[in-house]
Amino acid sequence: MTAPVLSVANLSKDFPLARGMLRREKLVVRAVSDITFELGRGETLAIVGESGCGKSTLGRSLLRLIEPTSGKVMLGRDNVTGMNTTQLRAARRRMQIIFQDPYGSLNPRMTVRETLAEPLLLHGLADPKTLEAKVNEILSLSGLSRFHAERYPHEFSGGQRQRVGIARALATRPELIVCDEPVSALDVSLQAQIVNLLQDLQQEFGLAYVFISHDLSVVRHIATRIAVMYLGRFVEEAPAETLFTTPLHPYTQSLIKAVPLPDPSVQRQQAELRGDMPSALAVPSGCAFHPRCPLATDLCRHSRPETRMIGDTRVACHHAEAGAAHATAQKIKPGKLDRRLAVLRAAKNEQASAPTDKRQETR
Amino acid sequence: MTASVPLTEALDDTAPPRQAWWKALLRDRAAALALITLLSIALAALLAPLIAPHDPYEGTRSVMQPPVWAERGDWTYLLGTDGQGRDILSRLLYGTRLTLLIGILSVGLGATVGSLLGLLSAFYKRIDPYVMRFADVMLSFPAILLGLALVAIFGPGALPVIIALSIATVPDSARIARSIAIGVMEQEYIEAGRAIGLSDRTLFSRYLLRNSISAIMIFVSLRFGQIILIGAALSFLGLGARPPAAELGMMASQGRDFMLFAPHIAFIPSIAIFVIVLAANITGDAIRDVLDPRLRS
Repeated sequence: MTAPVLSVANLSKDFPLARGMLRREKLVVRAVSDITFELGRGETLAIVGESGCGKSTLGRSLLRLIEPTSGKVMLGRDNVTGMNTTQLRAARRRMQIIFQDPYGSLNPRMTVRETLAEPLLLHGLADPKTLEAKVNEILSLSGLSRFHAERYPHEFSGGQRQRVGIARALATRPELIVCDEPVSALDVSLQAQIVNLLQDLQQEFGLAYVFISHDLSVVRHIATRIAVMYLGRFVEEAPAETLFTTPLHPYTQSLIKAVPLPDPSVQRQQAELRGDMPSALAVPSGCAFHPRCPLATDLCRHSRPETRMIGDTRVACHHAEAGAAHATAQKIKPGKLDRRLAVLRAAKNEQASAPTDKRQETR
Repeated sequence: MTASVPLTEALDDTAPPRQAWWKALLRDRAAALALITLLSIALAALLAPLIAPHDPYEGTRSVMQPPVWAERGDWTYLLGTDGQGRDILSRLLYGTRLTLLIGILSVGLGATVGSLLGLLSAFYKRIDPYVMRFADVMLSFPAILLGLALVAIFGPGALPVIIALSIATVPDSARIARSIAIGVMEQEYIEAGRAIGLSDRTLFSRYLLRNSISAIMIFVSLRFGQIILIGAALSFLGLGARPPAAELGMMASQGRDFMLFAPHIAFIPSIAIFVIVLAANITGDAIRDVLDPRLRS
């Protein structure tokens, strides 16, 4: 990997919590603990996990929208965690975020044009003369039309708003975009469009994505590498295909088995994940996953597994080798999303070969 | 990169025409009526020295003259005269002037300071406990008592009433603005603004203030009505305007003595207060609707 766009070392975030009468009982929630990874230009690291595992906190800590408790985040050669307020505000040009909720993430009092012009003017990327042209360019990059610019967010559908959110993130031509569940609030056909758009933009600008999702079937299409998070820690990180073909951690295996199959005739295996994720306030001893793990032994209950490299995979499990044998190679059947993406890709190819009757094809 | 463009979900090319805010305001009949009423009252009050038919302070011999539509009515005194033979119409015009002035100044001062405190305390969570305890302490001072204390210091007049009412408005508006702003601060677009790299100042004015102002406006308009009533009550108690100055509350109070023989002396200023307060409330509601682009289209 050549000089990474983003490198993260031992990032942690604690939320102190005072409880009880007189707030004497001090508790600490470890939302994110000891996260380390690197991300290169044009790559996508997907972070998956159940809700409450700390994915979003991690994403926001990377951008210092939430102040990390400890650890280091480097954006290119610059130390984000060491910046003062002014430096950080300037650095925000280079790192952006796309939010999950396309309804709540746009200022309802600003037209799309104002929303998109704001970062451009703020970072001195446009002056009043070039502003209009630049905004129009960003609009068309994100698949919106010029006449959308004068509208307010409430006049758009969910998918269009998400495009506005993407356009805003893209406006400053950042190196890194944290996508926090960008398609989870959309239906499948829109998911395909947005995933497709994100991929196109990545190819065009060499963007690096941190793609946070709970949906493995979406992640599969966009990720270069996938990290599985459980109670604030990465339990497994591997190249996307490797993770799906040979998942080593029992948690990863159960997540993959839990992906809904679009074909009702297929006999499903019983999901082997028992119980709920424990509270982050009372993280189990040893390996945090042991109360739900089918392979758990006494060792798991007492000592926390260190992260090890096995092949291309970084995994934190005492029984990873046994887990590999346990894994029955699981094929995920192509679902609706895959079909949609295939349609889009076909349409794009057709268009590329006959660009002159573009207008007609859309009818 | 035009690849994904043709697949945009919307193919309509027509943006809906956006109305000017005042057109939207006038489309709502009740609001238009209230606004026009309020404006004409304000205009009449402003022009009082020019349009008042008589001297509002000079008594005449025709005491307790009934209004023109009553028996024994007289075209010289359209709304009749009060217990000292002063023309009620002229006093009404001057009185409205003072009443509106007290209302506008107190609400303007009090709500501006209060809302700013409330918004800041939602924006900077660190100062929140201090601002709110301060507001609690201020809330425990009844406006009327505060008015009495200030009158004791400054002597009776409009100024101590304005100060007392402004101070009484601060904690209420701080609490309301804070609760509105806390809701706004939880929205993702605040975080989005921060992610773009906006300064606190821009974030505060362009994101927080702009999204809180319409809700605060409802409070202000309701408060305006209340303040006029409290101001009138203070004058009624003899704390406000000093006689012979005219103030609607004071006029109502003076008319009380003649309730049995000449009820119009108390009724006319009371009706004026009622109309002003009602029109202010309706207009406030409509302005809120108009300020919010989601409710406009």
